[in-house]
Amino acid sequence: MAEPDAIRLAQQGDAAAFERLYQLHSRRVYSLCLRMVGNTAEAEDLTQEAFLQLFRKIATFRGESAFSTWLHRLAVNVVLMKLRKKSGKETSLEQVTEGDEEAGTPRRDFGAVDIELTGSIDRVNLQRAVDQLPPGYKSVFVLHDVQGYEHNEIAEIMGCSIGNSKSQLHKARMRLRDLLHEAVRAKAREERRAAGSSSGGEV
Amino acid sequence: MNTIGCNEFLDRLGDWMEGQRPAEAHAHLRTCSNCRALAGDLDAIQQTAHSIALDEEPSPRVWLAVREQLEQEGLILPDRHVPAHGSASWLDVVFAAIPRPVLAGAYLAALIAVGAALTGPGRSRLDDARWLSGTENSTQPLSAQLDTAEQDTFSALKNADPVVAASLQKNLAIVDNYIALCEKSVREDPQDENARDYLYGAYQQKAALLAQMSDRGDFGR
Repeated sequence: MAEPDAIRLAQQGDAAAFERLYQLHSRRVYSLCLRMVGNTAEAEDLTQEAFLQLFRKIATFRGESAFSTWLHRLAVNVVLMKLRKKSGKETSLEQVTEGDEEAGTPRRDFGAVDIELTGSIDRVNLQRAVDQLPPGYKSVFVLHDVQGYEHNEIAEIMGCSIGNSKSQLHKARMRLRDLLHEAVRAKAREERRAAGSSSGGEV
Repeated sequence: MNTIGCNEFLDRLGDWMEGQRPAEAHAHLRTCSNCRALAGDLDAIQQTAHSIALDEEPSPRVWLAVREQLEQEGLILPDRHVPAHGSASWLDVVFAAIPRPVLAGAYLAALIAVGAALTGPGRSRLDDARWLSGTENSTQPLSAQLDTAEQDTFSALKNADPVVAASLQKNLAIVDNYIALCEKSVREDPQDENARDYLYGAYQQKAALLAQMSDRGDFGR
């Protein structure tokens, strides 16, 4: 069953059509949720919530935007609401895309070259750093650099301008760079401490 | 060759990361170690980000939960088969004869209560073995009857429209795969009531699919 037929039939309450839509989109939505929250059980709950919201509203879908964009907008909103509850702060698509998450323009003092990240970034420490990003930065970074969306698609999903999407992405990468540098420095300190204590113990 | 300063390079950094890399920006990087390190780091982040993209499916429980909720809210009708005369009567027989694993679970709970009296409180491998064996005892007859129904259906499919037959076989393969996943979940955690319920639901899906195939009668001829 092709997607347009599935959408039309789902709008009439057809069970098989709902399942078809779920089959078509569940992997991408789940991957997005998983990269946003970093936890499989939570990502499954969010996937479930996103599809429930989708199917509850499917009768109102008029095809102004691509179905997948509409679904991903719902999914991102569900994730942001979840992150808001976790952090206790208000976070919505509008808030995270209106202006900067931090006041001011990107800083220009990008630091002396004490450590280069090339070769020291792996999937684990990158995901750890992504987990620490503010929600808006995280959404744009995951959508663009991880999931491969274009800025015009992200603008539609997030309800912001293309310029805003580009700006948020740039700031997200800069923040990640800081976080990764900090992680590398912390690891180096830890290794020095361990080396010092072991050599101190060998009297 | 024209070259640019750090400020101008930073202004263009967004474009640089989008792949717009003019000669003057390259020239600047050759002379500025700080900007070179920054661009290198951002490239490394971008490349590693691609590698953390996933293409994984959520577990079957997600769709089942979505579907159950939608049914409860009346947004979709439960996919219950309404038996026609003759063609799907085996389905009624299957489900009338086989108790739900949850019901079988109640029986098993009594066994476990006896076991607990002997072995003490707590979860043990022995309990798992009893639950697993109980679930298998209750589902194996169901599985066997579904296998028979499947063979009958495939016999009828010999004369079917090849396109329709291929589509039905594909759907059946999906359901069989789902059953295998549910069986794996039950084996991993035999005491998980949800896992047993999902397994039952998976068998039910297969039964409903076979019933629909039987209802097609001439299979598209």
